[in-house]
Amino acid sequence: MTVATDPNVPAGAGTSTGPDARAGTGATTDPSSSAETSSGTGPNATMGAGLIAEPNDVTTGPRTATGAGAGVLERRYRRLLRGYPRGYRSGYGGELIATLLDTAEPGRTLPSARESFALIVGGLRTRVTYATERPAWVDGVHLGVLALSVAQLAMLVPYATTVPLWVGLSALAVALIMRGRVRTALPVVVLVAVKVCSITLGRTWLDVTLLPVYPDPVWGGGALYGSGGPVAPMVGYALIALGLLALAAREPRPVGARSWLWWAAIPALAGANPAGLDFTAGPGPLTVARVAVEIGVLVLAIWAGHVARDPRWAMASVIYLIPVCAVYAENLGAQSSQDVAHLALLVFLTVLAVIVPYRAKRHVLL
Amino acid sequence: MVLRMAKGSTTVSEPTYFILASLLDGPLHGHGIIKQTLKLSEERVRLPVGTLYGALDRLAAGGLIAVDREEIVEGRPRRYFVLTDEGQNLVSAEALRMQQAASVVTSRVLRLGSAFS
Repeated sequence: MTVATDPNVPAGAGTSTGPDARAGTGATTDPSSSAETSSGTGPNATMGAGLIAEPNDVTTGPRTATGAGAGVLERRYRRLLRGYPRGYRSGYGGELIATLLDTAEPGRTLPSARESFALIVGGLRTRVTYATERPAWVDGVHLGVLALSVAQLAMLVPYATTVPLWVGLSALAVALIMRGRVRTALPVVVLVAVKVCSITLGRTWLDVTLLPVYPDPVWGGGALYGSGGPVAPMVGYALIALGLLALAAREPRPVGARSWLWWAAIPALAGANPAGLDFTAGPGPLTVARVAVEIGVLVLAIWAGHVARDPRWAMASVIYLIPVCAVYAENLGAQSSQDVAHLALLVFLTVLAVIVPYRAKRHVLL
Repeated sequence: MVLRMAKGSTTVSEPTYFILASLLDGPLHGHGIIKQTLKLSEERVRLPVGTLYGALDRLAAGGLIAVDREEIVEGRPRRYFVLTDEGQNLVSAEALRMQQAASVVTSRVLRLGSAFS
C-alpha cells in the first residue's frame, strides 16, 4: 500500500495545487476559492492517495472525494464558461462552477460531453440574450455594414502587393467599423469606394494605378473587377456609407464594438471573384470556403433570432444579401446553375432569418 | 428579454415542466432542482447545468420563477429559486391539460379492457 501511495502524493499534490491556485486567483470571481484550494492542499493530497488505495473508503462528501481531480475539473469547467458573457460570468460563474462540481460524479477530471455541449450552447445563448440591449436597428445595421466591409476587404486582399494603400485603407475601415468608430470610418470608406469605382471604370482617380490590377500569384484568378461593372461594388459601398451615416446620426451614443473574430472570416472570403459570380470560373476550394462561411454565419443569425426573438440578425443578413443580389442582376444571363443555387441558398437562409424571430414571438417554447 | 406570452401560445417543454414542478414544494438551488427533477421524472430528465441555468434565466425573465434568497456556501454564491403565482398557475394548467389529454386515452382503454374481460 505504501508503495502505491508514495509516488502518488507528490504527483497528485504538485499537479493539482499549482494550477488550482493560479486558476482560483486568476479568475477573481470568488475570493475564497484560492483560500479553499491552498488550505485544502494537505487533505487533498492524502485523499488523492487514499482514493487510489481504497476507492470504497472515500465516500464522505462529493467535494472532498473528488480531491485532486476537482481542481483539474474546475479549471476545465472555467474554460468552458468563457463562452458566457463577462458580466454573466462575474455574476453567476461561481454558482455555475459550484453546481457543476456538485453534480459531477466523484473522480471525474474531464467534463462530460453532455455538460460541455450544454455549457457551450448555454454560453452562446446567454451572449445572444445579452446582445439585445441596444435598439435592434443599431445592431442590425452595424453588423450588416461590418459583414459587407469584411467581404470587401477580403476581395481586395489578393491584390495586396499591387494596391497596398487601398487594401490597407480597407482594413482600416473594417477595424474602425468593428470598434464602433463610425464617424472616423465614413471618410475612409468613401475614399476606398472612389478608388474601387475608378478601377471598375478603368480610370486612375486619387492615385496612379496600373490597370488592370492583377492578383498576387498565390491567389490566381482574374484582374480586380476585370469582369464586372461598377454597379454591384458601388451598391455595396453605398450601403456601407448609408449605414454608417445612420449610425453616426446617433452619436454621441455609442454604437458598441464587435468581436475580433470577424477578422477570421477574411482568409475564407479572400479569393472570391470580386466581380461577383463565384462558380462561373469553376468552383475551387476558396469558393467552397466562402460559401461555408456564409452558410455558417447565416445559420448562426437564424439561431440567434430564434433564441432572442429579435430581428437584428435578420436585418444584418438582408443588408449582406442586397449587394449579392446586385451582382446577379448585373451579370444576368452569365451565371451558371451553381451560381443560381448559391443565390437561392442565401435568399432562403435570409428569409428564414427574417421569419424566425416573429414565429418565435408568437409561439413561446419554455 | 421579455417573454410576450399574452400574444401567442405557450408550450411548456418537458424539462421546463419538471423544473417548475420541482419548485412546488418550496425554494431550491441549482443542484437541488437537478436532483428533484431527476427524482420526479423517474430518472428521465437529467438536466445539464448549462441547460438548467439557461432555463432558469428564461423562466425568471418571464416572471414564472423568482430568486428567493442568496446564500454563500463554501465561498460560492448560491441562489434559491421560488415559484411565482404565475408560474404555479402555468404548471397547474399544464398538468390539468395533460391529465385531460391522458384521460381521453385511459378512459377508452379501460372501457375496452373491461369489455373484453
